Amino acid sequence: MSEQHDHDHDHDHDHDHAPITVDEKPGYFDLMETAVRELLIERKLFGADEIRRQIEVLDSRTPALGAKVVARAWTDADFKSRLLENGRTGCEELGITFYDDTQLIVLENTPAVHNLIVCTLCSCYPRPVLGLPPDWYKLKPYRARAVYEPRAVLEEFGTSIPDDVEIRVSDSTAIIRYLVLPMRPVGTEHLNEAQLADLVTRDAMIGVIQVGYDREAA
Amino acid sequence: MGTENLVRKLPNDIGGDEAGKIERVEHELLPWEKRCHALADVLDFHKIINTEEKRRGVESLGAEMIGKLSYYERWIVAFANILFQKGILTPGELAVKMSEVEGRFSDVPDTRQS
Repeated sequence: MSEQHDHDHDHDHDHDHAPITVDEKPGYFDLMETAVRELLIERKLFGADEIRRQIEVLDSRTPALGAKVVARAWTDADFKSRLLENGRTGCEELGITFYDDTQLIVLENTPAVHNLIVCTLCSCYPRPVLGLPPDWYKLKPYRARAVYEPRAVLEEFGTSIPDDVEIRVSDSTAIIRYLVLPMRPVGTEHLNEAQLADLVTRDAMIGVIQVGYDREAA
Repeated sequence: MGTENLVRKLPNDIGGDEAGKIERVEHELLPWEKRCHALADVLDFHKIINTEEKRRGVESLGAEMIGKLSYYERWIVAFANILFQKGILTPGELAVKMSEVEGRFSDVPDTRQS
């Protein structure tokens, strides 16, 4: 990689564009993104500020939000029933805004049912509560196999689900997204809501792992 | 033999296909990828291109492009095609704008891989 250097900007620009300090020319698709965006902004179809704001929104969404929802559901039975009734309004109660038109269905894991989410057609994911999906969620092996051999898929994540537990795989769409409500691990009765939230990982809310608790390590 | 599957299943429709081991890959989005994602969201908010149109736009790139382009490369090409189809942009306008944007980097050494 070449050394970073200050890049003089002597041309006028009334719109933002690629980073001011660059050490290589943008690639073809990077140029295409900038060109499409700037053309649409010039046509006043939206403002540059909307893109900036949305980047901030994307940066603000992490699995910590979903973990907060899960921990609340574990500690507040009334909240949990409202959440299972309507995932979106349940999350909104905790101040998590939905910046898109998607509905959220929260799927509760129980001793009898383990849930797994996938998007076979593309990469639909509960982004308002988990942020952007990991690459493996968007790649063929997971999308192709989760629906017909979920137990084998789960084994690859180190998760063994007993044969007498039903596995339900939910396939997301452009407007319906899912979030798994994992089972609260045993031995966590003494933990408060924030401590519980710390146990909850992104992959547990996708359903590829279970939430674990090691009292010795804690 | 096998050609009927090309009709039954479009390139995106891979649920149930045979596939290899899940490699648990992740990467931080590149700056342009994040901008592309924000662009997608803003296009959806304004109902210029909604999520389902985007998905179909990617699907209509065909199997070869879907296989060879990266995730956000597919998105931006799909957006351009959809904007052409809707008469919002023309290919000529996009080409001119891309040259203009590229010109801003004329004093930067070209280290791109071809």
